[in-house]
Amino acid sequence: MKTKSLPFSPWHLVLAPLAILFALPLLWLLVSSVMSNAEINRFPPALIPAGINLDGYRFVLGNALFPRWFVNSLIVSSVAVTANLVLGSLGGYAFARMRFAGSKLLLGLMLATMVIPFQLTMIPTFLVMKELGLIDTLGALIIPSLVTPFSVFLFRQFFVSLPRELEEAAWLDGCGRLRILISVVLPLARPALSTVAVLTFLSTWNDLTWPLIAINHDTNYTLQLGLTTFQGQHHTQWAAVMAGNVITVLPVLLGFLLAQKAFIRSLASTGLKG
Amino acid sequence: MASVVGTFTLDPRARKAAAKRRTRGEGATAWAFVSPSVLIILGLSVIPVLWSLLLSFQANDLVSPSRWVGLANYKALAADPAFASAVQHTLVYTALYVPLSVVGGLAIALMLDRPIRLISLYRTLVFVPFVVSAAAQGVLFSFVLDPEFGAANSVLHALGLPAQGFFSDPGQALYLLVAISLWSGTGFCVIVYLAALQGVPDELVEAARIDGAGRAGVLRHVVLPTLTPVTIFLVLFQTINALQVFDLVFVTTKGGPLGSTTVIVYFIWEKAFKSFTAGYSAAAAYALAIALLVAGLALQLYQRRRTGKALR
Amino acid sequence: MSSPTRRDILRAAAVLAAAGTLGACGKSDEDEAGGVVTVDLWHGQTDTGKAAIDALIKEFNRTHPNIKVEGGGGGVTADSMLQKVTAGLAAGSFPDIAYIFGSDLASMTRSPQVADLTSALGDRLKDYWPAAKDAVTVKDKIRAAPALLDSLCLVYNKKLFAAAGLPLPKAGWTWDEFVTTAQKLANPAKGIFGTGWPGVGDEDTVWRLWPMIWDLGGDVVSEDGKTVAFDKVGEQALGTLDRLRTDKSLYVDPKPGGEQLYQVFLGGRMGMVATGPWELPDVIDAGLEYGVAPLPSYSGKPVTISGPDTWTVFDNGSARVKAATEFVTWLMEPKQDVRWDLEGGSLPLSTTTAAMPEWKKHAASTTGLQVFVDALQTARVRPTIAAYPQISEHLGEAIVAVLLGKKSPADALKECVDQSNAVLAVPN
Repeated sequence: MKTKSLPFSPWHLVLAPLAILFALPLLWLLVSSVMSNAEINRFPPALIPAGINLDGYRFVLGNALFPRWFVNSLIVSSVAVTANLVLGSLGGYAFARMRFAGSKLLLGLMLATMVIPFQLTMIPTFLVMKELGLIDTLGALIIPSLVTPFSVFLFRQFFVSLPRELEEAAWLDGCGRLRILISVVLPLARPALSTVAVLTFLSTWNDLTWPLIAINHDTNYTLQLGLTTFQGQHHTQWAAVMAGNVITVLPVLLGFLLAQKAFIRSLASTGLKG
Repeated sequence: MASVVGTFTLDPRARKAAAKRRTRGEGATAWAFVSPSVLIILGLSVIPVLWSLLLSFQANDLVSPSRWVGLANYKALAADPAFASAVQHTLVYTALYVPLSVVGGLAIALMLDRPIRLISLYRTLVFVPFVVSAAAQGVLFSFVLDPEFGAANSVLHALGLPAQGFFSDPGQALYLLVAISLWSGTGFCVIVYLAALQGVPDELVEAARIDGAGRAGVLRHVVLPTLTPVTIFLVLFQTINALQVFDLVFVTTKGGPLGSTTVIVYFIWEKAFKSFTAGYSAAAAYALAIALLVAGLALQLYQRRRTGKALR
Repeated sequence: MSSPTRRDILRAAAVLAAAGTLGACGKSDEDEAGGVVTVDLWHGQTDTGKAAIDALIKEFNRTHPNIKVEGGGGGVTADSMLQKVTAGLAAGSFPDIAYIFGSDLASMTRSPQVADLTSALGDRLKDYWPAAKDAVTVKDKIRAAPALLDSLCLVYNKKLFAAAGLPLPKAGWTWDEFVTTAQKLANPAKGIFGTGWPGVGDEDTVWRLWPMIWDLGGDVVSEDGKTVAFDKVGEQALGTLDRLRTDKSLYVDPKPGGEQLYQVFLGGRMGMVATGPWELPDVIDAGLEYGVAPLPSYSGKPVTISGPDTWTVFDNGSARVKAATEFVTWLMEPKQDVRWDLEGGSLPLSTTTAAMPEWKKHAASTTGLQVFVDALQTARVRPTIAAYPQISEHLGEAIVAVLLGKKSPADALKECVDQSNAVLAVPN
């Protein structure tokens, strides 16, 4: 049962200002990215640019290594997303529905690993990656982000709140757990899948600290790391930095916009009705 | 649930017996499902966790041979007023940030959970602060909140209110950081809640409405209970994120002014990379970890006693 | 170091560390055999600096066929270099040369992996500015090669001076004159400030105070290094800042990085600001009518501070140390130095370079650049002691407390002196 989209709803009066308020950083980025360096470089900054100056974009996009950086980031994030979706849903399902010895302890241990802050763990992690020979390769970025306690736990909580009836029916029909997960549970969990996908993509796409430590050569930089090369010790090319930020942010927002399709009530079609 | 579903005609007892028969052989499958995740997560964490623990018992600057000092670091930590204020600042930050972001996230998610036009656009825009990098947001807020030239003080001036010090005022800086974090962190709660809201069964909402419940009643008796597992997740993760806040402090205030925004992880970073006392830094990290684990265990025991069953 | 067990442990640790570094540079034996030694350079440069160093690397590789310098930036800009190199040293995977700030060098030399360049550079450096030489000397040994030299002078906005009807700053002027000038320049109604100071408490906040301390006869630490030497004169220096605050002629920059301070100046809202030669390109870009004068002093005698950066060489095996040393020595020669200065924005490292025609032409065409070079004659550097970062942190807090009006200069100074002396009391 769907509500028809009303041509105008009073909610627009609340949501529109709220959305604009939240969108301010993006507006700021867009406006600054078309200013000239001299314009941005003064304080207080001008709010309205004198004209549209694309020097920032030209600088970023014209950088010989920019496509390489973009592809590097894309590779790392896509692999991380895929791995998290697969491994996270498998693990989350087991923790949610299956009883096995030590499951609570295991889950607790995994969550406990998040307690030591990254600023300390990055050195031994660097050591481990060095022993594996992965320093200065994309592997050093991918391996630690293949699956996180975050994904596993989020999937678990989502699965726990799904009604058990469909799974039980399939179980009694003799389906194996894997089949149940793939054919029964995951179709109902599209919102969860999209959420984990977007959040994992974001955390790897925007990550700066770990690539900074693990990558040395500029052909292996991720996008965020590459953008730091526009910020010098004494002189920052602000137009390029802002343009770079816009280029980094837009694909994610577009992806999120498209992913909205998954955010529809899917239980309506579960067949639970007579 | 049975009254709503109503199509199964099998005897419930037979159902349960059959289910039990099959679950006895579950162990192997379960391990097969969790082992990749467990191996990667625990495997990659074992060395860092042990290394940090050993480090906390040493006088170690990371670049030269170290010295074993036993509990000296922990003793020094207990007597260090800078650590005490770091803990205090972090607790204040967490106590404000977690409830506000979770409740705020739920409120906004409920508002965004309707099929009106442009809803996808609204949802995407609410998510923007979470996507834009901390560094870029730092530039924006430094401008808006500058005591001399910022828009915020101009607005206050126009309203006849006194100009504020914002990031130059040790009494205000921490609360400003909470506000800026809420700006970006609420988006995280919104997206998780939005996803969870899709899973609220329409049938239950219908049933509640038929029973005479208004919007508030539906919210209280149908929606919120369904969202409980996800709420637990969000509270847990937002708490961990709040206790480990670093990037925002690094980009905006660097722990100042006058140490008023030095949080625990900033303290840890400073002691490791600026003062070259990484052993001391690791002791601080473990002090935080132990406190968290104790709190977590206490929470578990309390819950078990309350509900009589394990964490659902 | 008296108990044998501790010595054994240290020896074992040294062996482990050595084994670690050998493991990390397993390539070097092959390189020696093959004849070409690779040198890993993390230069941390961006923009024009990067272009300059890339060109120099190419030239070096061309003229030195036995050595291949690879300058990939290192994945960091100079600001984050210390953290990354520290992590690398801890894990046994570090470069051959890294661009280390002068104020971080003493901390770096805690590591036994930092090469000793006394034999290689000791004689050469006699020719160079004292500031360049002092910045790379730790405990009487030369532990790095000077990379970049700067000095702190005053850049002022001619238009604002003319509007206020004030005479332009000149050499030998006093802090009293400075304070009065700043007050006359300031126009709160129009949002114009006399001058500015970073208000975060970081190194940029602190290093500007040292010329004032030195001028008054104080220093960072005493001769024996056991106590601070600014306890008597610090109050007067902080008092000058306090006067600027009460006059409301000072813009206190709340943002870390010190950029906002200069951006206010570039926006034409600040009469004068203390800065280094690196700011001139932006000032010219902004189209300001500017001039450069030496910093004011209390005594009338000129003194300023220089904050040199260094090329620090790390030990990844003797072959690589030798090659790396050859590279940094080559960079320091006037012929290369002048190219680096022109394109990378440094001041000449030696008087020889300053006398070269290319530099003279460049200095003549850039207003005020020669003032920075002349100031090098009386420029001093911060002491290369391991405790400096902590002393700086305490002094930074004291300065910020005064700038924000939270503490009186006397109270702020006392707390800083007590804390710093406690740091120095710990044996190093």
